[in-house]
Amino acid sequence: MIPLNLKRDQIQKLVLSAIGFVVLLYVYFSFFLGPLNKSRNAMLLKINDRQSKLNASKNDISKAGSLEQQAANATARFAALKALNPEGAPIAWFPPRIKVFFANQQIDKANARLENSSPFKESELSEWMRYNWLIELPQAEFSALGTAIAELENSEPLLSITKIKILASNDQPQFQQVVMTASTIIQKR
Amino acid sequence: MALHLNLFHEEIQELRQRQRDPLKIGILVVIGFGALLFLYYAWCAYRTLEIRSRLNTKEQEWSKVEPKVIAAQKRATELTGIISTTRVLDQMIEDRFFWAPFLQELSRCVAPNAQLTSLEGNVLDDKKGVAVSIEGVSAGREPRSAAEDLRQMLLEQLGKSYKDVKVEFKTLEDLDTIVNVGGTNMAMARYVLTVSFNPFSTVAASPTPNPRMKNK
Repeated sequence: MIPLNLKRDQIQKLVLSAIGFVVLLYVYFSFFLGPLNKSRNAMLLKINDRQSKLNASKNDISKAGSLEQQAANATARFAALKALNPEGAPIAWFPPRIKVFFANQQIDKANARLENSSPFKESELSEWMRYNWLIELPQAEFSALGTAIAELENSEPLLSITKIKILASNDQPQFQQVVMTASTIIQKR
Repeated sequence: MALHLNLFHEEIQELRQRQRDPLKIGILVVIGFGALLFLYYAWCAYRTLEIRSRLNTKEQEWSKVEPKVIAAQKRATELTGIISTTRVLDQMIEDRFFWAPFLQELSRCVAPNAQLTSLEGNVLDDKKGVAVSIEGVSAGREPRSAAEDLRQMLLEQLGKSYKDVKVEFKTLEDLDTIVNVGGTNMAMARYVLTVSFNPFSTVAASPTPNPRMKNK
Protein backbone atom coordinates (compact mmCIF):
# COMPACT_ATOMS: atom_id res chain seq x y z
CA MET A 1 0.00 0.00 0.00
CA ILE A 2 1.04 3.52 -0.67
CA PRO A 3 1.41 5.36 2.55
CA LEU A 4 -0.85 8.35 2.76
CA ASN A 5 1.02 11.28 4.12
CA LEU A 6 -1.75 13.78 3.94
CA LYS A 7 -1.51 17.25 5.20
CA ARG A 8 -4.27 18.86 7.15
CA ASP A 9 -5.59 20.93 4.25
CA GLN A 10 -5.54 17.79 2.11
CA ILE A 11 -7.59 15.89 4.69
CA GLN A 12 -10.06 18.77 4.72
CA LYS A 13 -10.32 18.65 0.96
CA LEU A 14 -10.74 14.89 1.11
CA VAL A 15 -13.53 15.20 3.65
CA LEU A 16 -15.10 17.93 1.51
CA SER A 17 -14.93 15.63 -1.51
CA ALA A 18 -16.55 12.82 0.49
CA ILE A 19 -19.32 15.13 1.63
CA GLY A 20 -19.82 16.26 -1.96
CA PHE A 21 -19.99 12.65 -3.00
CA VAL A 22 -22.62 11.84 -0.37
CA VAL A 23 -24.62 14.92 -1.36
CA LEU A 24 -24.38 13.87 -4.98
CA LEU A 25 -25.69 10.40 -4.15
CA TYR A 26 -28.46 11.83 -2.02
CA VAL A 27 -29.59 14.27 -4.68
CA TYR A 28 -29.31 11.62 -7.35
CA PHE A 29 -31.40 9.03 -5.57
CA SER A 30 -33.85 11.39 -3.95
CA PHE A 31 -34.57 13.81 -6.73
CA PHE A 32 -33.74 11.95 -9.91
CA LEU A 33 -33.66 8.15 -9.81
CA GLY A 34 -36.20 7.76 -6.99
CA PRO A 35 -39.07 9.69 -8.62
CA LEU A 36 -38.21 8.14 -11.96
CA ASN A 37 -38.44 4.62 -10.52
CA LYS A 38 -41.58 5.54 -8.62
CA SER A 39 -43.19 6.85 -11.77
CA ARG A 40 -42.07 3.77 -13.71
CA ASN A 41 -43.45 1.39 -11.08
CA ALA A 42 -46.72 3.29 -11.03
CA MET A 43 -46.95 3.05 -14.79
CA LEU A 44 -46.16 -0.66 -14.71
CA LEU A 45 -48.94 -1.16 -12.16
CA LYS A 46 -51.28 0.83 -14.38
CA ILE A 47 -50.29 -1.26 -17.39
CA ASN A 48 -51.00 -4.46 -15.44
CA ASP A 49 -54.30 -3.03 -14.30
CA ARG A 50 -55.31 -2.03 -17.83
CA GLN A 51 -54.17 -5.40 -19.15
CA SER A 52 -56.23 -7.27 -16.58
CA LYS A 53 -59.19 -5.02 -17.37
CA LEU A 54 -58.72 -5.67 -21.07
CA ASN A 55 -58.57 -9.42 -20.45
CA ALA A 56 -61.62 -9.25 -18.21
CA SER A 57 -63.42 -7.09 -20.78
CA LYS A 58 -63.05 -9.83 -23.38
CA ASN A 59 -64.63 -12.24 -20.91
CA ASP A 60 -67.38 -9.76 -20.07
CA ILE A 61 -68.21 -9.13 -23.70
CA SER A 62 -68.22 -12.82 -24.59
CA LYS A 63 -70.23 -13.59 -21.44
CA ALA A 64 -72.80 -10.96 -22.36
CA GLY A 65 -72.94 -12.40 -25.86
CA SER A 66 -73.52 -15.95 -24.64
CA LEU A 67 -75.99 -14.68 -22.03
CA GLU A 68 -77.86 -12.90 -24.80
CA GLN A 69 -78.23 -16.21 -26.63
CA GLN A 70 -79.21 -18.09 -23.49
CA ALA A 71 -81.68 -15.40 -22.50
CA ALA A 72 -83.37 -15.28 -25.90
CA ASN A 73 -86.31 -17.35 -24.69
CA ALA A 74 -86.54 -15.52 -21.38
CA THR A 75 -86.37 -12.14 -23.14
CA ALA A 76 -89.10 -13.10 -25.58
CA ARG A 77 -91.24 -14.46 -22.76
CA PHE A 78 -90.61 -11.37 -20.63
CA ALA A 79 -91.59 -9.11 -23.53
CA ALA A 80 -94.74 -11.18 -24.07
CA LEU A 81 -95.65 -10.94 -20.40
CA LYS A 82 -95.05 -7.20 -20.42
CA ALA A 83 -97.15 -6.83 -23.55
CA LEU A 84 -100.11 -8.48 -21.81
CA ASN A 85 -100.81 -5.29 -19.92
CA PRO A 86 -101.25 -2.00 -21.72
CA GLU A 87 -99.73 1.32 -20.71
CA GLY A 88 -101.47 3.46 -18.15
CA ALA A 89 -103.02 3.05 -14.75
CA PRO A 90 -104.54 -0.44 -14.33
CA ILE A 91 -107.70 1.03 -12.84
CA ALA A 92 -108.26 2.76 -16.16
CA TRP A 93 -108.02 -0.28 -18.43
CA PHE A 94 -108.64 -3.40 -16.36
CA PRO A 95 -112.38 -2.98 -15.52
CA PRO A 96 -113.39 -2.18 -19.14
CA ARG A 97 -111.27 -5.05 -20.35
CA ILE A 98 -113.01 -7.48 -17.98
CA LYS A 99 -116.39 -6.14 -19.01
CA VAL A 100 -115.59 -6.68 -22.69
CA PHE A 101 -114.14 -10.10 -21.96
CA PHE A 102 -117.26 -11.38 -20.19
CA ALA A 103 -119.52 -9.73 -22.76
CA ASN A 104 -117.70 -11.80 -25.39
CA GLN A 105 -118.42 -14.86 -23.25
CA GLN A 106 -122.18 -14.16 -23.28
CA ILE A 107 -122.13 -12.72 -19.76
CA ASP A 108 -123.41 -9.24 -20.19
CA LYS A 109 -123.24 -7.74 -16.78
CA ALA A 110 -119.76 -7.64 -15.34
CA ASN A 111 -118.22 -5.18 -12.94
CA ALA A 112 -114.65 -5.05 -11.76
CA ARG A 113 -113.32 -2.79 -9.07
CA LEU A 114 -109.97 -2.46 -7.44
CA GLU A 115 -109.75 -3.79 -3.88
CA ASN A 116 -106.12 -3.06 -3.16
CA SER A 117 -102.63 -3.18 -4.57
CA SER A 118 -99.35 -4.13 -2.98
CA PRO A 119 -95.72 -4.60 -3.94
CA PHE A 120 -94.13 -8.03 -4.00
CA LYS A 121 -91.75 -9.31 -1.36
CA GLU A 122 -89.55 -10.92 -3.99
CA SER A 123 -86.69 -8.67 -5.03
CA GLU A 124 -86.98 -9.97 -8.61
CA LEU A 125 -90.44 -8.44 -8.83
CA SER A 126 -89.52 -4.99 -7.54
CA GLU A 127 -90.81 -3.52 -10.82
CA TRP A 128 -94.13 -5.32 -10.55
CA MET A 129 -97.23 -4.84 -8.40
CA ARG A 130 -100.02 -7.13 -7.31
CA TYR A 131 -103.52 -5.74 -7.86
CA ASN A 132 -106.52 -7.43 -6.29
CA TRP A 133 -109.82 -6.93 -8.09
CA LEU A 134 -113.38 -7.75 -7.16
CA ILE A 135 -115.24 -9.02 -10.20
CA GLU A 136 -119.02 -9.20 -9.93
CA LEU A 137 -121.22 -11.10 -12.36
CA PRO A 138 -124.83 -10.65 -11.19
CA GLN A 139 -126.30 -12.79 -13.96
CA ALA A 140 -124.24 -15.70 -15.18
CA GLU A 141 -125.35 -19.03 -16.50
CA PHE A 142 -123.23 -21.82 -15.01
CA SER A 143 -121.88 -23.43 -18.19
CA ALA A 144 -121.12 -20.03 -19.74
CA LEU A 145 -119.45 -19.06 -16.49
CA GLY A 146 -117.27 -22.19 -16.53
CA THR A 147 -116.21 -21.56 -20.10
CA ALA A 148 -115.55 -17.91 -19.36
CA ILE A 149 -113.43 -18.73 -16.32
CA ALA A 150 -111.43 -21.31 -18.32
CA GLU A 151 -110.87 -18.76 -21.08
CA LEU A 152 -109.92 -16.08 -18.55
CA GLU A 153 -107.42 -18.37 -16.85
CA ASN A 154 -105.93 -19.36 -20.19
CA SER A 155 -105.76 -15.95 -21.79
CA GLU A 156 -104.53 -14.06 -18.72
CA PRO A 157 -101.54 -15.92 -17.32
CA LEU A 158 -100.79 -13.11 -14.89
CA LEU A 159 -104.26 -13.31 -13.40
CA SER A 160 -105.27 -15.80 -10.77
CA ILE A 161 -108.64 -16.17 -9.11
CA THR A 162 -108.11 -16.43 -5.39
CA LYS A 163 -111.73 -16.43 -4.22
CA ILE A 164 -114.96 -17.34 -5.89
CA LYS A 165 -118.54 -17.18 -4.64
CA ILE A 166 -121.42 -18.52 -6.67
CA LEU A 167 -124.98 -18.06 -5.46
CA ALA A 168 -128.10 -19.44 -7.04
CA SER A 169 -130.44 -16.67 -8.04
CA ASN A 170 -133.90 -16.97 -6.49
CA ASP A 171 -135.64 -14.83 -9.08
CA GLN A 172 -134.08 -16.40 -12.16
CA PRO A 173 -133.11 -20.02 -11.50
CA GLN A 174 -131.14 -20.30 -14.73
CA PHE A 175 -128.67 -17.66 -13.53
CA GLN A 176 -126.16 -17.46 -10.75
CA GLN A 177 -124.66 -14.48 -9.00
CA VAL A 178 -120.90 -14.66 -9.01
CA VAL A 179 -118.32 -12.70 -7.10
CA MET A 180 -114.65 -13.37 -7.73
CA THR A 181 -111.48 -11.95 -6.30
CA ALA A 182 -108.79 -11.95 -8.91
CA SER A 183 -105.16 -11.10 -8.38
CA THR A 184 -103.17 -9.67 -11.27
CA ILE A 185 -99.46 -9.08 -11.64
CA ILE A 186 -98.86 -5.83 -13.45
CA GLN A 187 -95.64 -4.03 -14.22
CA LYS A 188 -95.24 -0.59 -12.71
CA ARG A 189 -95.54 2.08 -15.37
CA MET B 1 29.59 9.01 -11.13
CA ALA B 2 28.57 12.51 -12.15
CA LEU B 3 26.77 14.65 -9.70
CA HIS B 4 23.35 15.80 -10.85
CA LEU B 5 21.85 18.76 -9.29
CA ASN B 6 18.16 19.24 -9.66
CA LEU B 7 17.65 22.93 -9.55
CA PHE B 8 13.91 22.60 -10.25
CA HIS B 9 13.13 20.20 -7.47
CA GLU B 10 10.87 22.68 -5.75
CA GLU B 11 8.84 23.28 -8.88
CA ILE B 12 8.67 19.56 -9.58
CA GLN B 13 7.49 18.93 -6.03
CA GLU B 14 4.82 21.62 -6.37
CA LEU B 15 3.74 20.09 -9.66
CA ARG B 16 3.50 16.68 -8.03
CA GLN B 17 1.62 18.14 -5.11
CA ARG B 18 -0.83 19.85 -7.43
CA GLN B 19 -1.32 16.57 -9.23
CA ARG B 20 -1.92 14.78 -5.92
CA ASP B 21 -4.40 17.41 -4.75
CA PRO B 22 -7.14 15.32 -3.05
CA LEU B 23 -9.81 17.90 -3.82
CA LYS B 24 -9.01 17.79 -7.47
CA ILE B 25 -8.87 14.01 -7.46
CA GLY B 26 -12.12 13.92 -5.50
CA ILE B 27 -13.81 16.29 -7.94
CA LEU B 28 -12.63 14.15 -10.80
CA VAL B 29 -13.91 11.02 -9.09
CA VAL B 30 -17.23 12.72 -8.32
CA ILE B 31 -17.53 13.96 -11.90
CA GLY B 32 -16.71 10.49 -13.22
CA PHE B 33 -19.14 8.82 -10.91
CA GLY B 34 -21.72 11.51 -11.68
CA ALA B 35 -21.28 10.79 -15.37
CA LEU B 36 -21.90 7.10 -14.72
CA LEU B 37 -24.95 7.94 -12.68
CA PHE B 38 -26.19 10.26 -15.39
CA LEU B 39 -25.79 7.51 -17.97
CA TYR B 40 -27.70 5.12 -15.73
CA TYR B 41 -30.37 7.76 -15.20
CA ALA B 42 -30.62 8.29 -18.94
CA TRP B 43 -31.05 4.54 -19.45
CA CYS B 44 -33.75 4.43 -16.78
CA ALA B 45 -35.46 7.46 -18.28
CA TYR B 46 -35.40 5.81 -21.68
CA ARG B 47 -37.01 2.68 -20.24
CA THR B 48 -39.55 4.82 -18.42
CA LEU B 49 -40.45 6.59 -21.66
CA GLU B 50 -40.84 3.24 -23.33
CA ILE B 51 -43.15 2.10 -20.52
CA ARG B 52 -45.10 5.33 -20.81
CA SER B 53 -45.53 4.66 -24.49
CA ARG B 54 -46.82 1.15 -23.69
CA LEU B 55 -49.14 2.61 -21.10
CA ASN B 56 -50.50 5.11 -23.63
CA THR B 57 -51.16 2.26 -26.05
CA LYS B 58 -53.02 0.33 -23.36
CA GLU B 59 -54.95 3.44 -22.37
CA GLN B 60 -56.03 3.94 -25.97
CA GLU B 61 -57.05 0.29 -26.25
CA TRP B 62 -58.99 0.55 -23.01
CA SER B 63 -60.68 3.80 -24.01
CA LYS B 64 -61.89 2.02 -27.16
CA VAL B 65 -63.06 -1.06 -25.27
CA GLU B 66 -64.43 0.60 -22.12
CA PRO B 67 -67.79 1.78 -23.56
CA LYS B 68 -68.37 -1.69 -25.01
CA VAL B 69 -67.49 -3.31 -21.67
CA ILE B 70 -69.78 -0.98 -19.74
CA ALA B 71 -72.58 -1.64 -22.21
CA ALA B 72 -71.94 -5.41 -22.02
CA GLN B 73 -71.95 -5.37 -18.22
CA LYS B 74 -75.13 -3.30 -18.18
CA ARG B 75 -76.77 -5.65 -20.65
CA ALA B 76 -75.61 -8.71 -18.66
CA THR B 77 -77.13 -7.24 -15.49
CA GLU B 78 -80.33 -6.44 -17.37
CA LEU B 79 -80.50 -9.94 -18.86
CA THR B 80 -79.85 -11.57 -15.50
CA GLY B 81 -82.69 -9.50 -14.07
CA ILE B 82 -84.98 -10.47 -16.94
CA ILE B 83 -84.13 -14.15 -16.53
CA SER B 84 -84.74 -14.15 -12.79
CA THR B 85 -87.93 -12.08 -13.09
CA THR B 86 -89.26 -14.35 -15.84
CA ARG B 87 -88.42 -17.40 -13.74
CA VAL B 88 -90.33 -16.02 -10.73
CA LEU B 89 -93.27 -14.97 -12.90
CA ASP B 90 -93.35 -18.38 -14.60
CA GLN B 91 -93.33 -20.03 -11.21
CA MET B 92 -96.28 -17.89 -10.13
CA ILE B 93 -98.10 -18.69 -13.35
CA GLU B 94 -97.44 -22.41 -12.86
CA ASP B 95 -98.58 -22.25 -9.25
CA ARG B 96 -101.98 -20.78 -10.05
CA PHE B 97 -105.01 -22.76 -9.15
CA PHE B 98 -107.40 -23.18 -12.06
CA TRP B 99 -111.04 -22.98 -11.05
CA ALA B 100 -112.51 -24.02 -14.38
CA PRO B 101 -111.52 -27.72 -14.15
CA PHE B 102 -112.74 -27.80 -10.57
CA LEU B 103 -116.13 -26.37 -11.54
CA GLN B 104 -116.28 -28.84 -14.40
CA GLU B 105 -115.61 -31.77 -12.03
CA LEU B 106 -118.17 -30.40 -9.59
CA SER B 107 -120.86 -30.05 -12.23
CA ARG B 108 -120.26 -33.67 -13.28
CA CYS B 109 -120.77 -34.87 -9.72
CA VAL B 110 -124.14 -33.21 -9.18
CA ALA B 111 -126.92 -35.70 -9.81
CA PRO B 112 -130.37 -34.59 -11.09
CA ASN B 113 -131.85 -35.00 -7.62
CA ALA B 114 -129.31 -32.66 -6.08
CA GLN B 115 -128.99 -28.92 -6.39
CA LEU B 116 -126.27 -26.59 -5.31
CA THR B 117 -127.44 -23.26 -3.98
CA SER B 118 -124.13 -21.67 -3.19
CA LEU B 119 -120.45 -22.26 -3.52
CA GLU B 120 -117.66 -20.35 -1.88
CA GLY B 121 -114.06 -21.20 -2.60
CA ASN B 122 -110.75 -19.78 -1.39
CA VAL B 123 -107.20 -20.43 -2.46
CA LEU B 124 -105.32 -20.47 0.83
CA ASP B 125 -102.11 -18.51 1.22
CA ASP B 126 -98.66 -20.08 0.98
CA LYS B 127 -99.88 -22.97 -1.16
CA LYS B 128 -101.72 -24.50 1.77
CA GLY B 129 -104.45 -25.69 -0.52
CA VAL B 130 -107.97 -24.80 -1.53
CA ALA B 131 -111.02 -24.68 0.73
CA VAL B 132 -114.52 -24.78 -0.72
CA SER B 133 -117.84 -24.59 1.01
CA ILE B 134 -120.80 -25.99 -0.94
CA GLU B 135 -124.39 -25.51 0.10
CA GLY B 136 -127.25 -27.32 -1.53
CA VAL B 137 -130.35 -29.45 -1.31
CA SER B 138 -131.05 -33.01 -2.35
CA ALA B 139 -134.28 -34.81 -2.96
CA GLY B 140 -135.21 -38.47 -2.88
CA ARG B 141 -136.83 -41.14 -0.86
CA GLU B 142 -133.68 -40.98 1.19
CA PRO B 143 -132.53 -37.38 0.71
CA ARG B 144 -129.64 -37.81 3.13
CA SER B 145 -128.43 -40.72 1.06
CA ALA B 146 -128.61 -38.56 -2.09
CA ALA B 147 -126.45 -35.98 -0.33
CA GLU B 148 -124.03 -38.70 0.75
CA ASP B 149 -123.83 -39.88 -2.87
CA LEU B 150 -122.79 -36.40 -3.86
CA ARG B 151 -120.15 -36.36 -1.14
CA GLN B 152 -118.79 -39.75 -2.23
CA MET B 153 -118.76 -38.70 -5.87
CA LEU B 154 -116.90 -35.50 -5.08
CA LEU B 155 -114.37 -37.40 -3.00
CA GLU B 156 -113.78 -39.86 -5.80
CA GLN B 157 -113.65 -37.44 -8.71
CA LEU B 158 -111.59 -34.74 -7.00
CA GLY B 159 -109.22 -37.40 -5.70
CA LYS B 160 -108.25 -38.15 -9.29
CA SER B 161 -106.96 -34.64 -9.86
CA TYR B 162 -105.89 -33.34 -6.46
CA LYS B 163 -104.10 -34.56 -3.35
CA ASP B 164 -105.29 -34.61 0.25
CA VAL B 165 -108.94 -34.36 -0.73
CA LYS B 166 -111.40 -34.08 2.14
CA VAL B 167 -115.13 -33.74 1.65
CA GLU B 168 -117.11 -33.52 4.84
CA PHE B 169 -120.60 -32.54 5.85
CA LYS B 170 -120.70 -29.44 7.91
CA THR B 171 -124.45 -29.76 8.27
CA LEU B 172 -126.98 -32.21 6.90
CA GLU B 173 -130.60 -31.77 7.90
CA ASP B 174 -133.99 -32.89 6.63
CA LEU B 175 -136.40 -30.29 5.35
CA ASP B 176 -140.14 -30.32 5.74
CA THR B 177 -140.60 -29.36 2.12
CA ILE B 178 -141.75 -32.00 -0.35
CA VAL B 179 -140.77 -31.58 -4.00
CA ASN B 180 -142.04 -33.23 -7.11
CA VAL B 181 -139.27 -34.78 -9.16
CA GLY B 182 -140.34 -36.57 -12.32
CA GLY B 183 -143.92 -36.83 -11.07
CA THR B 184 -142.89 -38.32 -7.73
CA ASN B 185 -143.09 -36.51 -4.44
CA MET B 186 -139.83 -36.64 -2.62
CA ALA B 187 -138.44 -35.46 0.68
CA MET B 188 -135.64 -32.94 0.78
CA ALA B 189 -132.50 -32.45 2.79
CA ARG B 190 -130.24 -29.44 3.06
CA TYR B 191 -126.51 -29.81 3.41
CA VAL B 192 -123.34 -27.84 3.66
CA LEU B 193 -120.22 -29.61 2.44
CA THR B 194 -116.73 -28.46 3.20
CA VAL B 195 -114.22 -29.52 0.60
CA SER B 196 -110.50 -29.13 0.99
CA PHE B 197 -107.69 -30.36 -1.19
CA ASN B 198 -104.18 -29.49 -2.22
CA PRO B 199 -103.61 -28.84 -5.90
CA PHE B 200 -100.01 -27.75 -5.35
CA SER B 201 -98.42 -30.92 -3.97
CA THR B 202 -98.66 -32.61 -7.36
CA VAL B 203 -99.31 -31.65 -10.96
CA ALA B 204 -102.54 -29.78 -10.88
CA ALA B 205 -105.27 -30.46 -13.34
CA SER B 206 -104.88 -28.22 -16.31
CA PRO B 207 -107.91 -26.47 -17.64
CA THR B 208 -109.03 -27.16 -21.14
CA PRO B 209 -107.63 -25.93 -23.41
CA ASN B 210 -103.93 -25.70 -22.52
CA PRO B 211 -103.31 -23.18 -19.70
CA ARG B 212 -100.24 -21.77 -21.42
CA MET B 213 -100.25 -18.23 -22.57
CA LYS B 214 -101.45 -17.70 -26.08
CA ASN B 215 -98.65 -17.03 -28.52
CA LYS B 216 -98.51 -13.44 -29.55
